[in-house]
Amino acid sequence: MTAIATDTAHAKARFDWTAPVLWLFAIVLVALIVLPLSWLAVYSFTDKTRHVTLQNFVTLFSDPDFLDPLLTTAIIATTSAALCCILAAPISWLVSRTDMPGRQTIRALVTASFVTPPFLGAVAWELLAAPNSGLLNQLYRFVTRADSDAVLFNIYSLPGLIFVISCYTFPFVFVLVANALDTMPGELEDASAILGGRAWTTARRVTIPLALPALVAGALIAFLQAMTLFGSPAILALPAGFHTMTTKIWSLFQYPPKLELAAAAAVPLLLLTILLLQAQKFILGRRGYSVVGGKYGAPRRVEMKGWRWAALIFCLIVLLNPVFLPYFALLNAAFSPNATTLATPSTLTFHNIVFVFTELSSTALVLKNTVILGTATATIGTMLALVIAYVTTRHAIAGSRVLGFLATAPVAVPGIVLGVGLFLSYTRPPFVLYGTLWILLIAFLTINLPAAYQQLQAAFATIHPELEDASRILGASRLQSLIRITAPLLRTGVIATWCFIFIGVMRELSAAIVLFTSQTKVLSVLIYDLNESGDLAAIAVLGIAMLVITFAVVLAVNRIPTFGGSAGARLRNS
Amino acid sequence: MKRTMKKPSRRDVLKGAGAVALGAVFAEPARAAAPPPEAITPELIAAAQKEGKVVLYSSMDLPVGEKLGKAFEAAYPGVAIQIERSGSERLFQRIAQEFESSIHACDVINSSDASHFIPWKKNGWLMPFVPDEVARFFPEAYRDGDGMSATSRLYLSSIAYNTNLVKAEDAPKSYADLLDPKWAGKMVKGHPAYSGTIMTATFQLVREFGWEYFEKLAKQRVMQVQSSTDPPKKLALGERAVMADGNEYGVVLLKEAGQPVEPIYPAEGTPTISGPTGIFASAPHPNAAKLFQAWLHTRETQQFFVDFTAQYSVHAQVTSKAGRRKISDIKLMKEDPAGVEAMSEEIKTRYAKLFRV
Amino acid sequence: MASVELRGLTKRFGTHAVVDDVSLVIDHGKLVCLLGPSGCGKTTTLRLIAGFLEPSSGEIRVGPRVVSSSARTLPPEQRKMSMIFQSYALWPHMTVSDNITYGLRLRKLPRETIAKKLGAILSTTKLEPLALRYPGELSGGQQQRVALARALIVEPETLLLDEPLSNLDANLREEMRFEIRRLHDQYRYTTVYVTHDQSEAMTTADLIAVMNGGRIDQLGSPEDIYDRPQSEFVARFIGASNVIKGTARDANHIAFANTTLQVVGAPLSAGQSAAVAIRQHDIALATQTPQNTGNMLPARVLRQVFLGATRDYLVEIADGTSLRIVTSPANVVAEGSEVWLTLPPARCRALAR
Repeated sequence: MTAIATDTAHAKARFDWTAPVLWLFAIVLVALIVLPLSWLAVYSFTDKTRHVTLQNFVTLFSDPDFLDPLLTTAIIATTSAALCCILAAPISWLVSRTDMPGRQTIRALVTASFVTPPFLGAVAWELLAAPNSGLLNQLYRFVTRADSDAVLFNIYSLPGLIFVISCYTFPFVFVLVANALDTMPGELEDASAILGGRAWTTARRVTIPLALPALVAGALIAFLQAMTLFGSPAILALPAGFHTMTTKIWSLFQYPPKLELAAAAAVPLLLLTILLLQAQKFILGRRGYSVVGGKYGAPRRVEMKGWRWAALIFCLIVLLNPVFLPYFALLNAAFSPNATTLATPSTLTFHNIVFVFTELSSTALVLKNTVILGTATATIGTMLALVIAYVTTRHAIAGSRVLGFLATAPVAVPGIVLGVGLFLSYTRPPFVLYGTLWILLIAFLTINLPAAYQQLQAAFATIHPELEDASRILGASRLQSLIRITAPLLRTGVIATWCFIFIGVMRELSAAIVLFTSQTKVLSVLIYDLNESGDLAAIAVLGIAMLVITFAVVLAVNRIPTFGGSAGARLRNS
Repeated sequence: MKRTMKKPSRRDVLKGAGAVALGAVFAEPARAAAPPPEAITPELIAAAQKEGKVVLYSSMDLPVGEKLGKAFEAAYPGVAIQIERSGSERLFQRIAQEFESSIHACDVINSSDASHFIPWKKNGWLMPFVPDEVARFFPEAYRDGDGMSATSRLYLSSIAYNTNLVKAEDAPKSYADLLDPKWAGKMVKGHPAYSGTIMTATFQLVREFGWEYFEKLAKQRVMQVQSSTDPPKKLALGERAVMADGNEYGVVLLKEAGQPVEPIYPAEGTPTISGPTGIFASAPHPNAAKLFQAWLHTRETQQFFVDFTAQYSVHAQVTSKAGRRKISDIKLMKEDPAGVEAMSEEIKTRYAKLFRV
Repeated sequence: MASVELRGLTKRFGTHAVVDDVSLVIDHGKLVCLLGPSGCGKTTTLRLIAGFLEPSSGEIRVGPRVVSSSARTLPPEQRKMSMIFQSYALWPHMTVSDNITYGLRLRKLPRETIAKKLGAILSTTKLEPLALRYPGELSGGQQQRVALARALIVEPETLLLDEPLSNLDANLREEMRFEIRRLHDQYRYTTVYVTHDQSEAMTTADLIAVMNGGRIDQLGSPEDIYDRPQSEFVARFIGASNVIKGTARDANHIAFANTTLQVVGAPLSAGQSAAVAIRQHDIALATQTPQNTGNMLPARVLRQVFLGATRDYLVEIADGTSLRIVTSPANVVAEGSEVWLTLPPARCRALAR
């Protein structure tokens, strides 16, 4: 007894780092979020001499040039969300609850849709569906021998923009619904079956109502995403002749910049987002995420019988739009002398690739910046999310709930709004971070933190708190227990979160477009610039390079890219 | 920006216009303010190589600009060039934004909106530097009296059409023709809020035809793009049949590469765009900047401009390429940078109102 | 070596007091059982002792030191306690040996010492062949022994057990009950054992604290609790009791169902409503009128079940009260028959509350 007693006397003298570390993270969070939002508030409610005024709002709301984009954005977001739900719901049901063949492939294709940045998809769809030069329209004219004025698809239109946005927003709905269906206990449907319910009845009365909250959550996320996208509208709306809220805010940065109006224009977006998130919480009640219960049976798969192949074809046709067609268009443009002419073996050229990688002087710098930022944001963001998820799940410090709120708050801030806020915060002393990679790092961290935090929070829920308690009672501090016990057990969750943030950084344009300078340019901004000058072939090459990098990183870290799934999901699909 | 970039008063505008006019007549007093001309010396080259890099902000067509950059790197190994390409109006805004936060990333600026140099000069942002060849071979009208800039390239914003979609006899011949209803939904043009070329061209057209012209043009459902380098490309793709404005050298290059495009020089006159280049006083690589500026205006480089980029040069010793229209054969609209500077706000606002973006 | 003392310990979640003014002294080397139904606050009390929760008021002392109070609470890692959790909480990413030696490695003991202690505990808990397995590969009983080994190897002053046997089957549970007591006797640490199973409590504890609604209802040795329950709750919870409600005639008689019953236990005052407990197996059931006339009640058999070692009767008294009686299996009376019940006065305990 005495030997142990003297050793534990040592233990008491050790400084417990837990509390200071946790407080440090709290301060970082506050700086990330509270600072830009405060500057936003200052600028929107004051005039150039910094006197408080509501004039900015009056100017904006009395100007039809501002109200029109507001209406347009509302239409886009609503229609997009509806479209995403209509498509994602059946596909997730097919993948999760039936024996349709190729489920694994479909999941991978949805992952590919998520990895593809929406602005790249928009450019690819320009190549496909520009009214006169688009590949699909050329095909249509060729097949129907219509004259050169006949147009099947016009991507430069409001429906065109809605279509492209939906293509790259529907993975969000899919993931939420598929996850809910994956983790639904099989017994619930068995109970219905035993009582005589046939497959469709069970689906209608048991499965769908249980998945409905996830669908609602997904619809709201899709709405928010569609509302706050910048890249796709910037590429497609200008030729179509209209503005959305995000392009309008950006246009207020044109010389001479009207920062007060830009800040004021951001406020409705912010308020609408907060409103919707509250509505989501209200609809879903206190239920957040379904806990992965290990004791439940695997879900019973509905047999599709004669419908199996039809179902698969349906899924593939839907996924044609975000994946197959755009990727084909990009590959074609990369190797073709003229971006919308089909490359044939005789006209195939490597000139575009040579141009991008040897002549284009920004390529190396941009690739370097992007990979550095991607890796740094993913690593720092995962650590930040891990600690905050721990603090809030285990209530480790007083006010942990406030911390959790702050970690999810950035969801309410659209990317371009955050860009404006950060611009206002960090282009002035004492912290002039504009012109460095740091300001981009802060922006990307803030944007990706909420999703990372929620993922890790859900992962934490699967770890029994007694595992940490057992470590603590044997003499380890909270921090030690987090490092030795919890973190290793969260390995898959941590890796998935890292990849998720990396992908998010690759895709990000709305904040980057406001914050970049020539030395801190990233790939998304370069692609946007190239679209401005009409260099579609260069975009295709860079876009493919971006996709290759992202897929390579994700595969290397994960081996099988089943988004939203884990080893468990893989087993479920086999 | 609000403090330093006040809208110039009418007096300032007049002063500016007067200086240009005077400069044309009384060459001597104006030139006295400029520093003595400098040649490219081995010391300059060595200093530039020590700096190792030069950053150029330019609105030149991207492949054209990069080709230029590669030629510079070949001429002076050890000095890498990074070209930041964007529409001139966007570049102007970015520079203002960067300078506001004391970020000096740009060494050399080439803008297709000559009026930009007026406020830059007034703010003292530019470095006076007169390359030897500019002093000897560049006409007064095409270089700044105080040595702050020189016109590196001259080109046009013309009309053009896709020869697969439009027969030569049906093609529009004038700006007035563009208002014909048969071209509704078939045209593409650039935007003066992004492109310096289009800003300059729009100013000249407003001066000639008034805003009524644009009011009518706006009803033609024109496809709106940003940069002036885009319409020629859209034309080549066959996306639209007619280009209402855009850089003419893009069309010529595409035509020579076998694409189905043909430029038209409107009967009323073709807007002229000069692209001056200047060095910023705060350049992070001042010697490399000087080297580039000097190299840019040598006969070889200017000839390169003419031969390989289908633009025009004002260097006295440069000859035009066979097979291309001589600039002296084209009816031109005159430039007026001071006028553009005074009107640029109004142009952006009214254009946005008319074309809804 | 120190005792553990709880003084006026209270824990509130919101306005609800889950642990309500609990006071208890656990002498060094004793095994105290916190016994009660789910929701009575026993696990919360244990977690307060461990330091995972902070008291709303009151304090906990180990020896002379205050380890928990509403002002300051020593964190679990500094309490020199050890705990076995209901879920065992074995770390799935570590082998059995790594699980067990975790505490020693934290204390940075030299490697040879750790190896020696590991060897000793493995043989005590008969886990030698499983030393390099992972917890996921073990049965419930094996996991429980690993949890035990992990807790004991650090030689704690205080050992806390949170329903450690509830996940085991009946046979294993019996075996492990004795094992825990044996190890406690061998090492003599202060043990606090939480359970809802009274046979576990009876087998292992020196002292039982029966808890109900956040309070200790009765504190005493197993015999005290069993033979002399002081409240209706304890009487019902421990052993199988009937509780008869009547009005007291005097200090040790109550009126019930038109008879008077003589009782022992808490002194009564006339006119007071009283509750009397009697064990199911203490009531005699006969078809003929018994010789002795004291504490006799007529009743009718409602139900009768043969349970092998005993026979279980449900009978109804004239005033509608039903009683359960356990007799020898040979005593067979048909349903619906009239019987006579004899309630020996010494076995009728009047309850204080």
